[in-house]
Amino acid sequence: MQPINKMRTEFLSKSANESFARVVAASFAAQADPSIEVLADIRTAVSEAVTNAIIHGYGEEEGMVVLSCVLYPDLIEITVEDFGKGIEDVEKAKTPLFTTRPDLERSGMGFTVMETFMDSLEIESRVGQGTRIRMTKELKSR
Amino acid sequence: MDVRFSREGNSLVVMMEGEIDHHTASRVRERIDNKFLMEPVKNLILDLSRVTFMDSAGIGLILGRMNRVSLIGGKMIIRRPKPEIQRILRMSRIEELIELDA
Repeated sequence: MQPINKMRTEFLSKSANESFARVVAASFAAQADPSIEVLADIRTAVSEAVTNAIIHGYGEEEGMVVLSCVLYPDLIEITVEDFGKGIEDVEKAKTPLFTTRPDLERSGMGFTVMETFMDSLEIESRVGQGTRIRMTKELKSR
Repeated sequence: MDVRFSREGNSLVVMMEGEIDHHTASRVRERIDNKFLMEPVKNLILDLSRVTFMDSAGIGLILGRMNRVSLIGGKMIIRRPKPEIQRILRMSRIEELIELDA
């Protein structure tokens, strides 16, 4: 499948960029004229992925987060990448309600939200090197 | 994210306005907790009618407040969430724990 459009942006792992990232991804997806529900799902999933990169990827450190989107005729592929700590046990991290940061009142629902709101989710992570989350969502025109 | 407080009898009403994510939740959490401690109330009503976005940080915020309220034997109510907010509330099964006032 030939991409229609691509974008890539990077930003510092500051929590103020969570809203920046989800607005950028949703604006990019909006070109395909998807339903409001689909755009809301994309916003939520990107917010979760970027928050994970900021809190768990970098924690107290600062680093860059890369958001890239590839638009196909009826699908969007979204990748969120950090170069931080990495996840030791991806399967455990995906378990609903599991969190390594109860101190921050994290609900442990991040990956569950991404899985539920998107059509596919792949997590690649290497300890000490970082994490890459790749998600896709079908874009049915309204 | 903006929060405004009012009283309804034995309840503190928190009118939340804007977007709830990890960034904004960490800022309003303390304000809500301090107000709840200062006011002679038992219950907490979170009015979400003006919340336009919420991710799992909102779930954490709600569950955290619920734990505090239940410590003093109070009740927590979520008021008038928009349909897109209802979706994440349903997904997290928070509705099984907290009264929803649609």
